[in-house]
Amino acid sequence: MSRRIAIVEDEPAIRANYADALKRHGYEVATYADRRGALAALSTRLPDLALIDIGLADDIDGGFALCRELRALSASLPIIFLSARDSDFDIVAGLRLGADDYVTKDVSLPHLVARIAALFRRGDLLSAPPSVEDVTERGPLRVDVKRLTAYWREHRVDLTLTEFWMVHTLAKYPGHVKDRDALMRDANIVVDDSTITSHIKRIRRKFLAVDPAFDCIATVYGMGYRWNAKDA
Amino acid sequence: MKKAPTRRLALGIRAQLLLVLTVFLAIPWLGYEYVRELERFLRDAQERTLAGTAQAVATALHDRPRLFEVAPTGGQALVTERGPNEVAPTVPSVVPPPPGPAAASARVPDIEQIIQGLSRTSARIWVVNRDLDVLARAGSLKGVRSAASADVALPRVWAWIDREWVHPLYALFLQQPTDDFSEEQGGRILLPAREIDGALAGILTVERRPTPDGKAVIVSAAHPIWVGDQVRGAVIVEETTNAVLAERNRAFERLFTIVLAALLIGSLALTIFASRLSSRIRRLRDEAEAAIDEQGRVRGDVVPSGAGDEIGDLSRSFASVLTRLAQYAGHQQNMASRLSHELRTPVAVVRSSLDNLRATPLPDEARVYIDRAQHGLNRLTHILTRMTEATRLEQSLGRGSVGERERFDLVAVVAGCVDGYRAAYPAKSITLRVPDGEVRVDGAPELVAQMLDKLVANAIEFATGDAPVVVSVERGDDQVRISVDNEGPALPDAMSAQLFDSMVSMRSDQGGEPHLGLGLYIVRLIAEFHGGRVAARNRDDGRGVVVTVTLPLAEADR
Repeated sequence: MSRRIAIVEDEPAIRANYADALKRHGYEVATYADRRGALAALSTRLPDLALIDIGLADDIDGGFALCRELRALSASLPIIFLSARDSDFDIVAGLRLGADDYVTKDVSLPHLVARIAALFRRGDLLSAPPSVEDVTERGPLRVDVKRLTAYWREHRVDLTLTEFWMVHTLAKYPGHVKDRDALMRDANIVVDDSTITSHIKRIRRKFLAVDPAFDCIATVYGMGYRWNAKDA
Repeated sequence: MKKAPTRRLALGIRAQLLLVLTVFLAIPWLGYEYVRELERFLRDAQERTLAGTAQAVATALHDRPRLFEVAPTGGQALVTERGPNEVAPTVPSVVPPPPGPAAASARVPDIEQIIQGLSRTSARIWVVNRDLDVLARAGSLKGVRSAASADVALPRVWAWIDREWVHPLYALFLQQPTDDFSEEQGGRILLPAREIDGALAGILTVERRPTPDGKAVIVSAAHPIWVGDQVRGAVIVEETTNAVLAERNRAFERLFTIVLAALLIGSLALTIFASRLSSRIRRLRDEAEAAIDEQGRVRGDVVPSGAGDEIGDLSRSFASVLTRLAQYAGHQQNMASRLSHELRTPVAVVRSSLDNLRATPLPDEARVYIDRAQHGLNRLTHILTRMTEATRLEQSLGRGSVGERERFDLVAVVAGCVDGYRAAYPAKSITLRVPDGEVRVDGAPELVAQMLDKLVANAIEFATGDAPVVVSVERGDDQVRISVDNEGPALPDAMSAQLFDSMVSMRSDQGGEPHLGLGLYIVRLIAEFHGGRVAARNRDDGRGVVVTVTLPLAEADR
């Protein structure tokens, strides 16, 4: 059974393009232009993943509201925000509402498809036993590429996809400085410098919530970020 | 905002109102004219009174020939002398004794008795016969005290002020009546004059003449004394104009004092009013000027005044204009970000279409065009990102979502950044000059790094020749200076202040990266966020430009 993706997007051309691309990759796609229609259809039958535009025609924050409503229906439904907006504020607001990821409309279709695939994989494999080759261990950090999950001292750190890829990129080569371009490339996102900064800040905060002594991500001013190896 | 340089005549409202007030100086002049009229009137009245007195005395002496039958003794004191300037002979004329019973004296007691009863305190009455012999005299020109200062019941203080200050002041330019005048022969004799001649000719005549020393004017009226149809003598009534003068002066003083007081109080009130007015206007101006900074951005507010008058109105309309201006500025400021937002959707349409196109089988030549379209699209995206950068920074600085300020070592940040720039710009050498030890600053290190990015990118872009771009940190007493120095074309003088404004670029269009003139604007935003400032100046040798950011040190380190 093919997976069913709901696209809620008010711009017909983008809606059609995304739908075509996803169909080409074998997904079943349902498209909606506004929040009310989407909610009515989706509440009767939940999709496997929802791709939601924040601004829906006249409903400026309609996507946020829809996300809240869908999250109320299902705690595990993967939700990706798709938006022309790329301000910190919108990203933080979107992620706080329980979205799994946030991509701007600058994202290329292959990237988008890759992210969707990754989210599905994480959902599928969360319960399956991990295979050794997919897991990178750096001291107290354990990163499972297949499940897209990260653990710090055996505690799950709840990262978004973007954040996960950033952590993965940094931790793969401890001590190496990763510049913003490398982080963006690996996380498949196109954002400006300050958004990277706020992503990093959010990642640090999430690790700090698990371990107040966490200080592995160092800022190298003017260059980027570095994972400081730490012995367990 | 700069004040208008062409101020032809800088007259404040106060000065203007006082200028208008000079119109009221016409009031004293009108008063002066009025008093002059009054004086004329009083003089006429005096003349008429004197004439009336003369007539009354004469009436009492009419048809009493007996009174004139007394011959004068011819005593010297009683002989009328001619004045030296008169046409008449100057030699004392010895009047032959008239016929009739001889009298012991020229003065006729009966006449004296009559005129004593008629005499007025301020007048002198003579009775002469046809030969100008003085038959009787009564009264004196002197010794009349004017009651000017005693008549009004003024409070003591005012009376004192009036006596000690006001009166002497007026005395400077008003002719004061005085008894200190001299007459020929001390007024003991009567000088022949026109009015006497006129009276002896049978006509009531009134004349005025100054005393020889010019200190007083004497009005004299002469009336003939008839016996039957013959003129047997004349009554001459004399009086100084002192009473009129005193009356005039008194009127003058009171009028002037009142007018001056009114003018003074009026100007004082107007000055206070004008001061209040102009201070309100100035406050409004200051508020309006403070509300908009040098870049024309709305920074503050004009508190709308509650006053119901026009200035209150002005203040309210200023406030609403500023609000609308702020809205408009906000609208404009958001323009770039909204524009880029609006553009992102069509860009996404193009991008997703290209991506879909790529996934379909295409001839090779078609792929070339797809690549070109993709390249153009990437540039467009880059421009859009740059366009929103400054606005986003402004928003996040304004919203305070930059995160807590932290205390960090500026030297470490600058040194780290410069290492990065050396890697990023391998073609250009970058020299770093930093002091030993830490230079701690409160703020956001990632913003400082972003600021340095812009400064160095800018310097490298303008740098010519092989000289390195010099990044230096200098620690002062309570602030730190970060300078970026590059060799290259000098700044036009007029530009150095605007350089840090939004959308100001000095670059000539040479293709390559798009320039929106936002880089140095971002530098300024970040410097101001840290409580610092930024300035650009030409190097002393004129062959380069130094941009200096001054930031305050962390408080504990000052």
